[in-house]
Amino acid sequence: MPNIHYANMSHWKSIPYKKIDNFREFYYEDKTNSAYYSDWDNILKYQSALGFDGIEIAPWDMADILPLFGSPENFTAFAKERGVSVIGMFHGAHASHAADHFDEAVRSGREAVDTIVRFGGTYMNTCPTQNYYGTGPLSREEVQQCAKVMNEIGRYATDQGVKIGLHNEFFCAINLSNHRELIETTDPRFVHYCIDTAQISIMGEDLLKFYGDYHERISTFHLKDTASSNQPDSLRFSQDPEITDDGTRWFWEPGMGDLDLKGLYRLLKQHEFKGWMSIEYDGSPDLLASMAMTRYYLDKELRPIYD
Amino acid sequence: MHTETIAISLDLINRHYQEPNRNRYESKYFWEELYRLIAASGFSAIEIPYEPVWQFGGRSGVPMNRYCVNTKYESAANYRALLKESGVDRVTGITFDPNLFMRNDNLGFYFGATGHFAHEALAHAADMGADYFAISPSPFYGRILQYHPDLESQKEAFTQRTAEMLGGLATKAAELGVTLVLRNEYWGLFGGERVLPLLDALPDTVKLDLDTANLFVAGTSAADFLAAHGGRIGCVHLTDTDFVDTADVWKTPNPEFPSHRATQVFRDPGTGSVDLLQIAGLLDRLNYQGPITCSARQTRDPFRALLRTRSLLNQFQK
Repeated sequence: MPNIHYANMSHWKSIPYKKIDNFREFYYEDKTNSAYYSDWDNILKYQSALGFDGIEIAPWDMADILPLFGSPENFTAFAKERGVSVIGMFHGAHASHAADHFDEAVRSGREAVDTIVRFGGTYMNTCPTQNYYGTGPLSREEVQQCAKVMNEIGRYATDQGVKIGLHNEFFCAINLSNHRELIETTDPRFVHYCIDTAQISIMGEDLLKFYGDYHERISTFHLKDTASSNQPDSLRFSQDPEITDDGTRWFWEPGMGDLDLKGLYRLLKQHEFKGWMSIEYDGSPDLLASMAMTRYYLDKELRPIYD
Repeated sequence: MHTETIAISLDLINRHYQEPNRNRYESKYFWEELYRLIAASGFSAIEIPYEPVWQFGGRSGVPMNRYCVNTKYESAANYRALLKESGVDRVTGITFDPNLFMRNDNLGFYFGATGHFAHEALAHAADMGADYFAISPSPFYGRILQYHPDLESQKEAFTQRTAEMLGGLATKAAELGVTLVLRNEYWGLFGGERVLPLLDALPDTVKLDLDTANLFVAGTSAADFLAAHGGRIGCVHLTDTDFVDTADVWKTPNPEFPSHRATQVFRDPGTGSVDLLQIAGLLDRLNYQGPITCSARQTRDPFRALLRTRSLLNQFQK
């Protein structure tokens, strides 16, 4: 039994079909590869074939998945038939720093937990509030307010068998100066941490030191590479920096950037990490190719260190 | 026909569905090159779908709402100047559909959000110097049904609230000098000829969209529709398809993707079964002088679609 199970964070855009029964006919309509990216049947089979046994879904998938499958339970059963489990869902705790938004932030977090439970998931990786631009810098009280919301959602989630993991983006109002403060203000019994390896490195954390410092809080990972660590405030705090105007990518497949992922795996071994690791391919032009590249790198470079 | 005034809709870029290389479509550089390619394929006018979704989540590289335009260009005027510099002289129209806001059982949310963003989109149309603002008056029928299973019994009330919202938009559109146009896509509560009672409940300034493929799918002849309602046509969409809905696909939650048989509903103009040469001839005979826009929605290759469309237009009688 391996210590680490691998999942994909779903970055597929809308997948319009559940299963295409007339695949050959559909292909021949325009003889392009559209048919290969148009149904969940094949998307899930690609994952399964490449050894990714879990999928972490996103809230923005719901508007398409629910009408297509009728219910979260139906999607989960469909995925399971193809060898894939839903491990959880991402959540954005919008405006959790604002005291007058407390009830709404908690309500929305609890609803997301309920949705995850219906999908059979056990993780809710949660961005603690919105982008820095237009919101930051946060006062200490606002950071504490974020922590209060996370604790409240975390308590509810724990009761439902779901682990919430703080997940920081490099452009969030929770950023380098208050990131650790937020972690330390939250209750470790209810609030865990999902390390997005690229995001925190771009933000300015040293990945290995951060994991060493917080390994007991880590519930899961978003594993991806970057060649853009330690970006300056001026960039991280700018308006809408995630998608660049010139197509520059922040995120790369593991092994395609310059993070010390082998060093991370040595630490995982040292601290005996057990659990799910989601690979994330945001920014990739070809998610299927990225999945295959990642599988090769995992098998040849990382899993020999710690599996 | 003066084909040089015919616009191309930016809906030829697939923003929402998975395909390799789709990520390019979220960055500014892609669109700025696209404008030049549009001009190179002989179009000097475009239509822009107004999509509030790009305002949320920092995806402002997609130039499809006021927030994105202001974020990347500071003002509509600067954006129009960039278009002009790229060879695109005019934004002929702005379209708007409310599907994004049909996401729960709260009709107050749906009408509130749709009304708010439709007004914003209309004002944006005026800022862009557009001739028309073409709105889909309902979400997908099947999408409404998903959250409101009692839709049939609530149809009258839904129609009444829709007419009130559109009435407000009609007043504003008249003030701004933009023609408000109702779209009648086959999938809507007001699809095909079902739009006519709604149109009758609105001021005469409100016009109809003639969308050739949408009528074809609904089993209605575009030529007959044009002959019957010629005086109330506010814009024409030259669209193509091979699909006729014989299985009530229009009532499903995802009607552009027939679940019983996968197919590309909208084909690149000139490659489907709609007789677009006949429609062009009819428009000429009726001396139609309003805006005409080509749409290659759902194309598998936007650049090939641009040239396929140009190839079709080259066959129109000059």
